[in-house]
Amino acid sequence: MNEEVLTEQPANKIAKLPLLAALVALVGLCDAIYLTIHHYTGEKVPCSVTGGCEAVLSSSYAEIGGIPLAVFGAAAYFIAFSLAILAAFGNRLMWKLFGFQVTIMAIFSVYLLYVQKYEIREFCQYCLLSAAVCVTLFAIALFSRFWRT
Amino acid sequence: MSNEKKNSNNNNLPLVIIGLVLIAAVGAGWWFYTQSKTPSKKGGNTNTSVANTTKTPAIVSALGAQPPNMLGSPNSSVTVEEFADFQCPTCGVMHPKMKELNSIYGSRIKFIFRNYPLAIPAHDKAYDAAVAAEAAGLQGRFWDMQNLLFTNQQAWSANPDYRKVWEGYASQIGLDIEKFKNDMAGLNAKSRVDADLQRGRALNISSTPSLFVNGVLIPFEQMNIETLRQIIDSELQKGQSNQQKQPTSGAPTTPAPTAQTSQPASNTAANTAPKK
Repeated sequence: MNEEVLTEQPANKIAKLPLLAALVALVGLCDAIYLTIHHYTGEKVPCSVTGGCEAVLSSSYAEIGGIPLAVFGAAAYFIAFSLAILAAFGNRLMWKLFGFQVTIMAIFSVYLLYVQKYEIREFCQYCLLSAAVCVTLFAIALFSRFWRT
Repeated sequence: MSNEKKNSNNNNLPLVIIGLVLIAAVGAGWWFYTQSKTPSKKGGNTNTSVANTTKTPAIVSALGAQPPNMLGSPNSSVTVEEFADFQCPTCGVMHPKMKELNSIYGSRIKFIFRNYPLAIPAHDKAYDAAVAAEAAGLQGRFWDMQNLLFTNQQAWSANPDYRKVWEGYASQIGLDIEKFKNDMAGLNAKSRVDADLQRGRALNISSTPSLFVNGVLIPFEQMNIETLRQIIDSELQKGQSNQQKQPTSGAPTTPAPTAQTSQPASNTAANTAPKK
């Protein structure tokens, strides 16, 4: 475990990029929790920006095996948050895992954008926010790789 | 010494933060869920549609099979009702489009499938196929059988031993074969097909597939995804504006073309002779 500790950080100093990533992941977590609540209460979400929220959120793409996609999103963001926090406190392995996870999340987000654009042909602002969060997390992970070397 | 203490505190800190966020996330989720659940139930009735109080072109007294084979949400303001024949090639072509439509709209629409096997020589197995689908429906697998019948239409249509082929489908989707055979021979499944047929005749259907969106017959040339989406979208919008206008309406909530027995229409239905 010790060799995984980021040696360039003093033990009590918090790495900034992972901390930033954790905060961004929190935004995604809130978004996903909000959509999960919406799914289970069946209430309509305010949708002033894009206008297609209901179309997207009630489409068959919004569920996998009867479980709303938002639940998977919330779980993924929570894991990303946890990994980022652990990395912020010096655990380099967790930062690698974070990079791996957010890459998958970003790819999946691109797929979901494609579904919204070409299959459902409506956009949902909460889904766009989620995609933006994923891409930001991916960008942070990518940036940290180049930044370190 | 104090450095060690500081380090061990630092080791625990991330876990503490993660734990707190987890508790906060679950707690907030639960709190909002319980908060919004009550009003949503109270307001639930507003969701049931009043979409078609003004325009109800194709209302007939013949209800068709009850309960109908339905996908989507029974409370949707948009009802898409398809009349199809399992041996009709165009219905076979329409099938994936209907599936696409359902996957796009999900619970925003109410999709009803009606059997309308045409009594013509080229469709000699169509009635039996409809009965087979309904027999599967009696075991809760209507849509699986419907899908298999349409996707393999050519295979069984040309096979003199078609019943054996359907039994193969039945076992493929996990049906109790003996019950399936019994139901195919029995009256339950047949009476459902007959009820759908009656409804189709009352609606003056002369060809398959015939598609109604909120009771309005869609011309064949409009039966493509693009146009159907436009039609459904505009009906959904109407439904929404109706909801906003009458948020607490206690009006009957049966969207056309499911049955209502308003007088002029039911007269038409009773007097309607089949077209052919």
